[in-house]
Amino acid sequence: MSVLWQQTTHGVLKRKEKMQRFSAQLLLGIVLVTTALTGIYLAVVASNVHTARRLWAMEYQMSNVLRDNQALITEVARLSSIPVLQERSVALGYQPAESIDYLYLGEP
Amino acid sequence: MLRGPDARLRLITVLLIAALLLVLGQLVRLQILDHRHYQNEAEALVRRQYTLPEAPWGVIMDRNGALLVGNVPVYNVGAEITMITDTVMAASVLAPLLNRPEEELLATITLSEGVQHLIWRPLANRVPPETVQKLRALNWPWITLSPTWERYYAEGALACHTLGFVNADGLGYGVQTFLLRVLRGESVTRVGSVSVDTRPMPNELVGGNLTPYPGTNLRLTLDRTMQAFVEGALDQAIVEYNAAGGVILVMNPQTGEILAVASRPHYEPHRFPEYAQDGRDVLFRDPAVSMAYEPGSVFKAIVVAAALDSGRVDANWSYNDAGRLEYGGVFIRNSNGVAYGTQGLQGIMDHSLNVGTAHLSTRVLGADVFYKYMRDFGFGQTTGIELAGEAAGIVHLPTDWDWSDSYLATNSFGQGIAVTPLQMAMAISAIANDGVMMQPRIVAERHYPDGRIVPVPPHALGQPISAETARAVTEIMVRSVDTFGKVAQVNGYRIAGKSGTAQIPTTGGYHPDDVVASYVGFGPAPNPQVVILVNLDRPDVPADMRWGMHTAAPVFQKVMTRVLTLMGVPPSELRAGH
Repeated sequence: MSVLWQQTTHGVLKRKEKMQRFSAQLLLGIVLVTTALTGIYLAVVASNVHTARRLWAMEYQMSNVLRDNQALITEVARLSSIPVLQERSVALGYQPAESIDYLYLGEP
Repeated sequence: MLRGPDARLRLITVLLIAALLLVLGQLVRLQILDHRHYQNEAEALVRRQYTLPEAPWGVIMDRNGALLVGNVPVYNVGAEITMITDTVMAASVLAPLLNRPEEELLATITLSEGVQHLIWRPLANRVPPETVQKLRALNWPWITLSPTWERYYAEGALACHTLGFVNADGLGYGVQTFLLRVLRGESVTRVGSVSVDTRPMPNELVGGNLTPYPGTNLRLTLDRTMQAFVEGALDQAIVEYNAAGGVILVMNPQTGEILAVASRPHYEPHRFPEYAQDGRDVLFRDPAVSMAYEPGSVFKAIVVAAALDSGRVDANWSYNDAGRLEYGGVFIRNSNGVAYGTQGLQGIMDHSLNVGTAHLSTRVLGADVFYKYMRDFGFGQTTGIELAGEAAGIVHLPTDWDWSDSYLATNSFGQGIAVTPLQMAMAISAIANDGVMMQPRIVAERHYPDGRIVPVPPHALGQPISAETARAVTEIMVRSVDTFGKVAQVNGYRIAGKSGTAQIPTTGGYHPDDVVASYVGFGPAPNPQVVILVNLDRPDVPADMRWGMHTAAPVFQKVMTRVLTLMGVPPSELRAGH
């Protein structure tokens, strides 16, 4: 009787195969879990970097918008300044109120 | 020789494990053992001190929200001159853009021989965004652009003394200097990772915002429209009476709010460096707040109020006016030298009798009581208004080394005592506000960058006289206007007022001709809404027309008429409900 036959008939090969299958599954599991964790880690890091980059860009955008806003505020102030308003009022025919009649409304 | 697949498999496994161990070993070395070394090397490459772009200063608005001082975005332009390949061409292109002579610019950007390291030089400051767009279009990598701000005065020179300015050293005038720490935006300098153009890297966000907080905005008590009218009226008066300068101050006696304050001579605040360079920096001082003058007869209203409030005289009190009074070695005379006979408090105010107020201060009140009232009315002390460079004025006291007995007599008609127009208006406002003296204030609200709006509440400095005294003095002043001071009357309104013509002190005496003509009043009585003070400095008109009643009073009348209209105060009869 060959050794192989003996191992087969005594179930030795079956146990060995079971062990190997288990080891392979374990290793595969570890590899999968590690890959998943690494993937998640990389995704989180990439997302962080992306978000930081966006925040950074937004900060500069905000800074530029703030500057544009200040420029617009001063432009509006220039256009509504007293000399400009006076000029426009005169052009429209307005005059300073000299004589004002107040109407007294008694308590109802 | 390897026999069988098992053996070869084992060999491959061993080799793979060995390779993996090698990689792991290197990882351990790089990440753990030599971590500090490589981190230092990396940081040395990117870690620099950087300053965040300058935050805008807080803007300043009038009481209705109209912008008075804002910020214009500008840039400081520089050049890494070692990177320039064609300096002649660069200078010819940049010269018209930066408004600099081409030769001068060429000298700036030309590198000295033998210099190898990077050299940066400033080319122009406060360059407008339109020019910066053209510079960017050139796409020259050696041009550096640093964003910054320039103050913008929306109304030009309007309220220049009140608004003031701040120079590069943080010194200056007006509300901007007084509230510099509030107005100035956050300045942030950190050490961290920067990009090649010295901007902070994204990871620097961990250390905080990369856009610093702007300064706090201020809403003032000034009314822009009223201010413009008052300044126009003052300019007209200065031309009409050929005066050297003047002040018009409009104040709400119930809250202490300064509604308008015009001072001449004045300046354009955005051009302050030119004035300083030309030696005209005396223009920066606000005559309304920083310069004391002898108030003259307008001071008599204060003395009459003090006498009445002390209880030592009443409305029926009288004295015999002989036209002169001797006290402390000096003779006090009425301005026209006339003896008015039996006079009371009303007569003192109507005829502006120097002898009458000297009688009150020397024979009725005495030094202790007189100067107690001067202190209570705030003379000789700053008011605490939010403006830089406020003067305290000069009040001589009996305990002073340079005291002279005659001061007690001369102070009673506003000589030998120096006050600021603001102090004078504040003291008169106590009479207008039932004896309660409100602290003058120029800031109504602070608008913080986080959105909070904090109002500055009115603050009473004290009550120098009782409400009854204040009402009695108001009536005396109203009657005085209605009988002897009609030029200050405003149709439909009961106005209280007092004129003054103060000689100007010089070394060893008083100038024979120069005077400060003034008028101070309030209305409409009762429950006055506004106090107005008009000062004209050295009006150059015929001597008989230099009096405050002839020069300052018509200006007061004109300003009061318009101010009551602008404030929407109905005539006295309507207010009384008739």
